[in-house]
Amino acid sequence: MDAAVPAPSSRRPARGWTIVGEQELRDLWLGGRGLLLGVAFSVLLSIIAYLTATNQALNFLEQRESVNLTLQVAIAVGSLLALLAAADAVSGERERSTLESLLLAPVSRLGITSGKLIAALSLWAAAFVITIPYVWFLGRGVGLVGKAVLLGLVVGTLLAVFLASVGIVISVFASSNRVSLSVSLFLLLAIFTPTQLPSSAQKGWAGELLLRLNPVTAGEHYVGKIVVNDHSWSEDASWLLSPLIAAAVFSFLAAFVGARYMRLGRRASE
Amino acid sequence: MTFRRVLVSSVVLACAALASSGPAAAASASGVSVTVAPLRIGTELGRNVLVHATFRNNAPSATGSLIAHLNVLSLRSGVEVDPEDWSTHRTRYLGALPAGGSRTITWKVHAINTGKIALYVAVIPQAGPTARPATGRTVQLDVAGRRTLNSGGILPLALGIPALLGLMTGGIQAARRRR
Repeated sequence: MDAAVPAPSSRRPARGWTIVGEQELRDLWLGGRGLLLGVAFSVLLSIIAYLTATNQALNFLEQRESVNLTLQVAIAVGSLLALLAAADAVSGERERSTLESLLLAPVSRLGITSGKLIAALSLWAAAFVITIPYVWFLGRGVGLVGKAVLLGLVVGTLLAVFLASVGIVISVFASSNRVSLSVSLFLLLAIFTPTQLPSSAQKGWAGELLLRLNPVTAGEHYVGKIVVNDHSWSEDASWLLSPLIAAAVFSFLAAFVGARYMRLGRRASE
Repeated sequence: MTFRRVLVSSVVLACAALASSGPAAAASASGVSVTVAPLRIGTELGRNVLVHATFRNNAPSATGSLIAHLNVLSLRSGVEVDPEDWSTHRTRYLGALPAGGSRTITWKVHAINTGKIALYVAVIPQAGPTARPATGRTVQLDVAGRRTLNSGGILPLALGIPALLGLMTGGIQAARRRR
């Protein structure tokens, strides 16, 4: 946040998180950073959609797979954007020397954390809105649009909340913004690594356990089963458990860590 | 000498055949009939159709546990069919059928490719996989083409959305600079 937090209105005292959230959203979107990320995201989806739509040899299942691919890329990249924004939330303020004025503002630290989390999640929301026309184009012929959009919203939101909360936690403890972003990216790569394992390694109890415990792989597995294999929502619902638990636990952890450990710097905390 | 060798080898072969057919015959699927319906289905690409198979035990005694399996293949060469894509849960465990009893299983089949596709159902005893399976009649599935993707329409979308977002970004930046 570049400017100090505006004073709450005297008529109706706004909650701290709404003030911080509003200011963060303004910085992100009117400052142009969010829109630029949106443009880059839409270019990526355009390339994927163009390559799949112009493939004349697509059979019906492959067309479902193209919807699945688009949706999974949207969820993965949208969550990545939320993670990167969250990883900058506290360490970035500290590095730009604006954290002090933020901490002096009459807003609780929980309010600051919540406002920053909401701003980070707005990147996922924008990514999701950008994804809808692509999913509509690829999925309308196979009757998948409604299901895919709803599925993307549910799974993507859970993963975005999880990753953005992780980003906030890292940002609170990181000594610098570079450390925060590096650790966040490393963690993201580690989380996505199981998706690159050969299918033989993903089978067996250990492989399945790994996929189920990892919220990203579990969420993407659930999306694939419904979109590609036409399973019902309840058939593989157990795969949603890990994203659900991760989103709940880490958002609580982010709120707790933000409220308890947000400091100006290492020296200030000692 | 030659006659004796032929005799001995014939006896050995006969013993081996008896030994191998003993347990399989006990668990054989013979006596089980498979009736499938409908026998001919016309559909379009991407649609789901239902295939029902009824397994009846015509023998005077109960069967052992049975396994039914649906198979999918193309009647024309050059069309690649991956049965797993066409129907998930193709193998069903029926359990035992009492004498004169029957059980009906329904498979949901998803038309993945266009063309003439054949489906057939086989049933084997769980305890004796070497036994000859009982099969039903072949179901012919005629899948007509359906245009599901307008590849020509992607270009305006693929170019339009980034352009629109780019214009929005430029407009907001210009407005901020003016202010």
